[in-house]
Amino acid sequence: MYRNDATGPFFALLLAAALYLSAYLDGRRIAAMGGGYEDALTVGQIGLITFATLFLIYALIGFFSIWLEGVELRPGRRLPSPGAAVPLVAVLLAVIEAALGGFFVRLMLHHLTVEPVSAAAQGAVFGAMMLVGAVLLAIYKKYYLGDEVLVEEEHSEVPW
Amino acid sequence: MSVYRWLDERLDLDRLNKKFMRKAFPVHHSFFLGEIALFSFIVLVLTGIFLTLNFEPSSRLVEYRGEKLPAAYASVLYIDSLPFGKVIRSAHHWAANIMVASVFLHLLRILLTGAYKRPREINWILGLLLLGLTVVLAFIGYALPFDAYAVTATQIGYGIAKSIPYLGDWLAQLMFGGEFPSLRSLPRLYALHVLWLPLLLAALIGLHLLIMIKQKHTQPRYAEEVAPGKVLGVPMVPMQATMMGILFLLYLGSLFLLAGALIAHPVEVYGPPGTSTPVLKPEWYFLWLYGLLQMIPSSWQIPLPGGAAITSEFIGGVLIPGLLGLVALLLPFLDTRRTKMRYLELPSQHPMRTSVTVGLLFFFFVATFAGWKEEFGMTNAQLWAMLVFIPLGAWLATYVLIRQIWGKEG
Repeated sequence: MYRNDATGPFFALLLAAALYLSAYLDGRRIAAMGGGYEDALTVGQIGLITFATLFLIYALIGFFSIWLEGVELRPGRRLPSPGAAVPLVAVLLAVIEAALGGFFVRLMLHHLTVEPVSAAAQGAVFGAMMLVGAVLLAIYKKYYLGDEVLVEEEHSEVPW
Repeated sequence: MSVYRWLDERLDLDRLNKKFMRKAFPVHHSFFLGEIALFSFIVLVLTGIFLTLNFEPSSRLVEYRGEKLPAAYASVLYIDSLPFGKVIRSAHHWAANIMVASVFLHLLRILLTGAYKRPREINWILGLLLLGLTVVLAFIGYALPFDAYAVTATQIGYGIAKSIPYLGDWLAQLMFGGEFPSLRSLPRLYALHVLWLPLLLAALIGLHLLIMIKQKHTQPRYAEEVAPGKVLGVPMVPMQATMMGILFLLYLGSLFLLAGALIAHPVEVYGPPGTSTPVLKPEWYFLWLYGLLQMIPSSWQIPLPGGAAITSEFIGGVLIPGLLGLVALLLPFLDTRRTKMRYLELPSQHPMRTSVTVGLLFFFFVATFAGWKEEFGMTNAQLWAMLVFIPLGAWLATYVLIRQIWGKEG
């Protein structure tokens, strides 16, 4: 019971897709998508998109948790064992991260000195940087950090 | 490493690590809901710092790009013109929405798994206070851009605050600095939004976490077989901290993609406050209250001594949510068991609690639906019938289904 399995994240992902779709089918244009045209989102759309995004984040971290921490915990330690391909993937992602970082700075400078850059582009580049960073950190945890599961006394001195 | 050794010789970091950083965190994805709420708060503080550097909390008229505009509204237009400014402001809005939703789902998870029971009553109460405070903080923030939408939406809340018999005027004075909108409103709301309420929220979050660390998490049931009577989990540093880092980056990635693509509150669409009142509804987390207000005729008035009265605004906006909050606060004390709650309970083994929760959720859905009363052409009688019978039906159907599928109360 309450194993860290994929059921919850899977249904969260499904729900996120359904809620995004419901928000899109609200009958009004979703603001600022493709072309900088702006209209206000309705409160219904904001509510649906809020829960959709929350379920999406929940699903993502849920799948990462299953991959990185397993379905059930068993006490003990596991040493890291990076395969030969892992450093290559990590370096590739690090290069992409650096490129995105550079591109983001150029976008900001362009906005400041030449002409405004759309908010969608700014958000997309920054968001992509964070997501690549998340994958890099996950690779570090999976292949370089190892695992440790503790058994702790219920009554400890922490924090008092 | 030598820096660590240098610090360790002086500060005994090894001891700190052994004593505080080895707290065991049980692993289940549903535990991340609380962390999502925490990260929302952190993002709100960080984006809020940027906004405060450029925002002017005043409704005095200033000239901005050839137009006479309220200073607050003009400063929001200025923020939007800055590199990344519009995205940060939009992220601030979305993070507030996500925080309300994640605190609500976190509380729902605690309720459905029985984790509010002894000895965690205090943390359940703190959680409810955190939800209430988050909603109030989000509401106050809504007024700050001082556009036509913000002013009208805040007036609904101002009316609810004023409707409290005997205390209404005092509360309106405290929160809005007197009448809303007036010259004193924005400085008062701004101080509450960026200083006093966030400080209170941060203190409550700190206390909530401290008590959680002391009392330990509830755990998945399989932990009972692996380590009976003990806590099974991964150490806070480095395992849980790394997972939190991944979650924080996933959160930021999703949030900023969303914030850039969909601007939550484009002030230029609403325009500055004018003589005409825009047609609007309050934010989604207030829609159920707004729906209740739509259903309660304004003729419902009970006069009280001293010229005060219980009005329809008070009944829908204060009394009903207040009673629901009171029941929620008392919930842990209705369970009289004396044993310590160690493991997560399955909702299917507690059909009454689960079905009542489902009924309550349907109550919120129907009350929210009532917010669209005019659009759907519904009458009050129809809405009241829905508000009574749909939650009752959902409760009964859930209870019968759980009993039929999973058997008796566990």
